Amino acid sequence: MGLINNIKSYSETISLSTEKKGLLNSFLENGFPTIKDEDWKYTSLKRIISEDFSIEKNGNDIDSSEISKHSLSFKNQLIFVDGELISSPQINGVTISGYTDFESRNNDAIMNLNASLCNNGFSISVAKNTVVEQVIEILFFTTTENNFSQYRNQIIVGENSEIKFVEKIQNLNNSTSFVNYFTQINCDKNTNVEFNKIQNNTSNSILIDNVDVYQKDNSTCDVNTLIFGGNFTRNNLNFEQNGNNCESNMNGVSVLDDNQFADNHTFVDHKSAHCRSNEMYKGVYLGKSKGVFNGKIMVRPDAQKIDAFQSNNNLLLSEDSTIDSKPQLEIYADDVKCSHGCTIGQLDDEALFYMRSRGIGVEEAKAILTYAFASEAIDNISVSEVRLVAQKLLADKLNVDLDFSL
Amino acid sequence: MLKINNLKAGIEDNQILKGINLEIKAGEVHAIMGPNGSGKSTLASVIAGKEEYEVEGGEIDFEGVDLLDLTPEERAHKGVFLSFQYPIEIPGISVSNFIKTSINERRKIAGLESMPAKNLLKMLKEKMELLSIDKGYLSRNMNEGFSGGEKKRNEIFQMAMLEPKLSILDETDSGLDIDALRIVANGVNKLRTKDNATVVITHYQRLLDYIIPDFVHVLYKGRIVKSGGKELALELEEKGYDWITKEADKQWV
Repeated sequence: MGLINNIKSYSETISLSTEKKGLLNSFLENGFPTIKDEDWKYTSLKRIISEDFSIEKNGNDIDSSEISKHSLSFKNQLIFVDGELISSPQINGVTISGYTDFESRNNDAIMNLNASLCNNGFSISVAKNTVVEQVIEILFFTTTENNFSQYRNQIIVGENSEIKFVEKIQNLNNSTSFVNYFTQINCDKNTNVEFNKIQNNTSNSILIDNVDVYQKDNSTCDVNTLIFGGNFTRNNLNFEQNGNNCESNMNGVSVLDDNQFADNHTFVDHKSAHCRSNEMYKGVYLGKSKGVFNGKIMVRPDAQKIDAFQSNNNLLLSEDSTIDSKPQLEIYADDVKCSHGCTIGQLDDEALFYMRSRGIGVEEAKAILTYAFASEAIDNISVSEVRLVAQKLLADKLNVDLDFSL
Repeated sequence: MLKINNLKAGIEDNQILKGINLEIKAGEVHAIMGPNGSGKSTLASVIAGKEEYEVEGGEIDFEGVDLLDLTPEERAHKGVFLSFQYPIEIPGISVSNFIKTSINERRKIAGLESMPAKNLLKMLKEKMELLSIDKGYLSRNMNEGFSGGEKKRNEIFQMAMLEPKLSILDETDSGLDIDALRIVANGVNKLRTKDNATVVITHYQRLLDYIIPDFVHVLYKGRIVKSGGKELALELEEKGYDWITKEADKQWV
């Protein structure tokens, strides 16, 4: 197989610690997950890993116009080009550095690979009692052709602090790129963290994005995932609630066409009492696109009085599009509120007629209704500028001509 | 303006309209009344082009064109407007964006540029004043979480913005309290010109105290069984529908 061989021969050229060697060997023994693994049942990596990705980086310099073209123009920017941190903001109470090694508790095959080979990424540490008003924009650019890269990031938020992020991974050439991405977020007591992911990469980009969030008492963490681009996207989003009165919010929009594929895998581990989790994932599938949603909620015996809600609503707008949706609830506490709902449907005829009777053509009406359906999951983004960008991207993808200035 | 000739329509195998004849001229207000299930809303929906209704015969001539040959949006572009009995909620689209899209779609068909934002805002402001609507309303999502009265007012607001030639108000009075009814009726009256026409579909005489019709028609079992002037509505209020429906039942047994 192409990629495994490349990984093997690359690893022989570098020196690794014993521990990392162990992780790598464990990966090499088992290889990438296959559809025989329950967590990858609907998501095949076979085609991807047969390709000949290079592990070495040999990127080109890019000029600032390329960066500004893809940037959301926030003041605080953290910019990486082929793994190298080229720009980082100065913010009071926030320490930002490049890659720092850290251990993760997550040790599936892909995480092991990431932990062993990765030497790029960021580390952000927010001091206690720090409220960062302005959103931090994180941009990862790839210029290397046919590159397989690993990123490993850590965010540590101290007690009573608040911070918000928006992140984009952007391939700057026409070749395929494959990114194995991992971010671990530690939310201390009374923190409020929002992480927005704009996944709008080029049409031949492949992404496996892992996010692990660990929460302590009275913390709130939101992760919003907006998938418009890319060829293959797999998001593993894991929340672990280790304190009372935590809140975990997940919102996601996937709007896919042609042969795009996107898979949102979420896992909420309710370990403590009086916590909440909310998930709202919306999918719109056109062309031959395919979506997967797998939402697992685990309620441990000590997690009494929790309230967990999950919804996954999908519109299949073409004959050839598909969605596999799988809620998984495991409940071991007896005084809890857990609910989930999954819908798969088409557009509402009554609403279509209503719009057409106002003179809106049938195609435009369909596009607007689709927009309206999907945008609900965007409404929860608290940063208005990010929300606006997301709305525009959604409208563009659906060919809706809406004026956001009104 | 509108000439309906022997219109027969239904849903699946159930014929609801059994031969409607109606002529409406520019500048006129017609009221269509009738008991529940007589076909009032079906008539409104068929004129607007709702596809689930099957037209079995007849024609709806609107300024020389048979509406039955046109899509719902083409009918709207010609100047037909239906105020819905149950307006639809469309989360995610603001009232202003919805109205703007409606206006500009029509302008596009007519070969015109999009309406400049300045003109649009001015017009929105004018019509909001007309219907006593406050400003925050424009950024609310279309009908989402609106009370029954707000939804109806929103229908008339769209009518005011789209300036149709023929407006069909389907049970616009239901769900309105008396103050809202006055505001809505006042709006409708102010929008009347010698060039447009209004069809008011209602159960009750109440609305017709405020929007005075030139003609009143009674629809029963899919036919117009009686037509008259505005005094017919008062008579119906007093005597109910029985005296008309009994006679009609005899005639069409």
